[in-house]
Amino acid sequence: MFFQQIVNGLALGAVYALIALGYTMVYGILELINFAHGEIYMIGAYLGILLLTFFTVVGLTQNHLVLSLILVFVGSALYCAAYGLTLERVAYRPLRHAHRLSPLISAIGMSIFLQNYVMLAQGSADKVFPHILLAEPITFLGVPVGPLQMFIILTSIVLMIGLHIFVKKTRLGKAMRATAQDKRMAGLVGIDINRVIAVTFVIGSILASAAGVMVAMYYGLVNFFIGYVAGIKAFTAAVLGGIGNIPGAMLGGFILGLVESLGASYISSEYKDVFAFLILIGVLILRPSGLLGEKASEKV
Amino acid sequence: MRVSEQTAYPWVTLGLVAVSIFASVGGAGCGRPSVDTIRVAVAGPMTGDQSKQGTDLKNGVELAVTDWNEKGGVLGKRIELLVGDDQHDPKQAVAIANKFVNSGVVGVVGHWNSSASIPASEVYHGANISMITPASTNPQVTDRGYTNVFRVCGRDDQQGKVAAEFVVTQLKAKRVAVLHDKTTYGQGLADEFKKSLNASGGGRVEVVYYSGITQGDKDFRGVLTTVASKKPDVYFFGGIYPEGGLLVKQAREVGLKAPMVSGDGVIDPVFVQIAGEAAEGTYLTFSPDTTKLPTAQEVLKKYRARYGEPGPYSFYAYDAAQVLLRAIQSAGTTDGSKISQAIHISRYDGITGRLQFDSKGDLLTTQYVVWITKNGTFEEFWAPSGT
Repeated sequence: MFFQQIVNGLALGAVYALIALGYTMVYGILELINFAHGEIYMIGAYLGILLLTFFTVVGLTQNHLVLSLILVFVGSALYCAAYGLTLERVAYRPLRHAHRLSPLISAIGMSIFLQNYVMLAQGSADKVFPHILLAEPITFLGVPVGPLQMFIILTSIVLMIGLHIFVKKTRLGKAMRATAQDKRMAGLVGIDINRVIAVTFVIGSILASAAGVMVAMYYGLVNFFIGYVAGIKAFTAAVLGGIGNIPGAMLGGFILGLVESLGASYISSEYKDVFAFLILIGVLILRPSGLLGEKASEKV
Repeated sequence: MRVSEQTAYPWVTLGLVAVSIFASVGGAGCGRPSVDTIRVAVAGPMTGDQSKQGTDLKNGVELAVTDWNEKGGVLGKRIELLVGDDQHDPKQAVAIANKFVNSGVVGVVGHWNSSASIPASEVYHGANISMITPASTNPQVTDRGYTNVFRVCGRDDQQGKVAAEFVVTQLKAKRVAVLHDKTTYGQGLADEFKKSLNASGGGRVEVVYYSGITQGDKDFRGVLTTVASKKPDVYFFGGIYPEGGLLVKQAREVGLKAPMVSGDGVIDPVFVQIAGEAAEGTYLTFSPDTTKLPTAQEVLKKYRARYGEPGPYSFYAYDAAQVLLRAIQSAGTTDGSKISQAIHISRYDGITGRLQFDSKGDLLTTQYVVWITKNGTFEEFWAPSGT
């Protein structure tokens, strides 16, 4: 049972980590908590359900499951990237030089707007995911493990490795790190700051959309307010790991998932959500810069 | 970056988030009714994950009101129906109740959730307005001795007893796990079930696990893994269908093969949509199928023509509205205590059965049977002996 709970927790944590990356990257560069980020994840989940339903109706999923899944992920990622980009353009860029509370309030406003917009466009009832993926557990080392859980954990790890390589090895990644260290200096040496910020939002949104699609598959249903709690949890994960720190967000996400899963099973499932926020309070009191937050020079 | 700012920042943002939670609560008031109309109201979860049930309630009441209006209304006045959305939130339910009181509503059909009905009934009690709930089964709804509160459904102590008898005598379970959603209804039902289990099991049935889950949560694999490790023969769930559907689906994924038994909160097609194949062979307790009753056929035809297939509580809402409107007619006034009195002495054969109330406001005769989910639909499966 312990091992099974670890797998449950890792799958949950992988999703938190993917969303947390979006928070932490934006914070690293803009020092802004993008509270609308949870809604991007929610839109990704909706897109996942809508696209997969569409592909099931036209008969693609039955014959080409892998192809249709790739199309769902890509389609959702493109859509969410467009939302992320627009969000930055409309809600944050005009406030770039305003007091730092202004973009924060703008972020909360966008979050409320997007939630209600999706509610009006898609209805307030739950949307249910088509049942096309096998749910029977595979026995692995004597422990039943859901195939979807393995899929989520592996996909997240691949995406995180991809992000790591992007940030460390590419020119754009280097520009992002430079911008995060000092925006003005980066601008002076010829980096297009606005472009770097836009790219940051796009990458964060793509990761959130992947999380959304996987969660939609995992739970089988979405509604317009799933982004709120997921966003707060992911924010907790980002703070836990040290906000602004990319490996920290990944670590924080996985820790949070494990704590929730183990806490729910060994202490009490009634207090499942309490554990996440106890951690947040604990971290803020004892180690405000987060677990990996001290190395400020590497905070991208 | 300055450290002090970094530490202060998350606190500020958390505070702002807390503020934003309450920003969504609101509601428009409307003036008093004009002299030639009488206002009645229906309330339930009209939006959100349980909106299907609220809509069923609204449709049932609307149908009854339309019937009455076609025959000339009540007390010679046109009936105006107000619809309130409590979003299955106790706070919102109180806000809606106050809004109804301020709009001069004469009687209310609702709410759906016990956790909404109980706080809202305090408001109706204070304003002396009759309230008939078609669906709230928690004993506390009528056990507080309010003369203005009625229900046209059963009680969870009756329901839990039937579920326990079924689990003991039919499923022959020895080890039972009990989950609930921490709401008034869910936890209340789970507790009644547990109590009856000890009584009808004669001490041979062991409750191996008892815990709550959070309504609105989507991931129950952690708690279900623990349930599976206790190896129960059956697990009981006190709660509503969005969580119920996810529970049976995820139970399959963590290797929990025991059947689920639940209550009337789970009977909704969305349960099957969410759970898919995992819903097959799950049991729940509910009153007998109303769409099969001969008395319901005429209304069923009208309902289908207008709204499509009725939900499990549509006809109870229709009957509740009938009881209310008949009481207003026979009381001959819009005075709240007179209407409540008229409901207490009324005896009316509704489409769901004989509607006659005891001194608390419960029905004199109610019945619970066990339903099974088969081929994606719910059907009656077993009735306790002696009914």
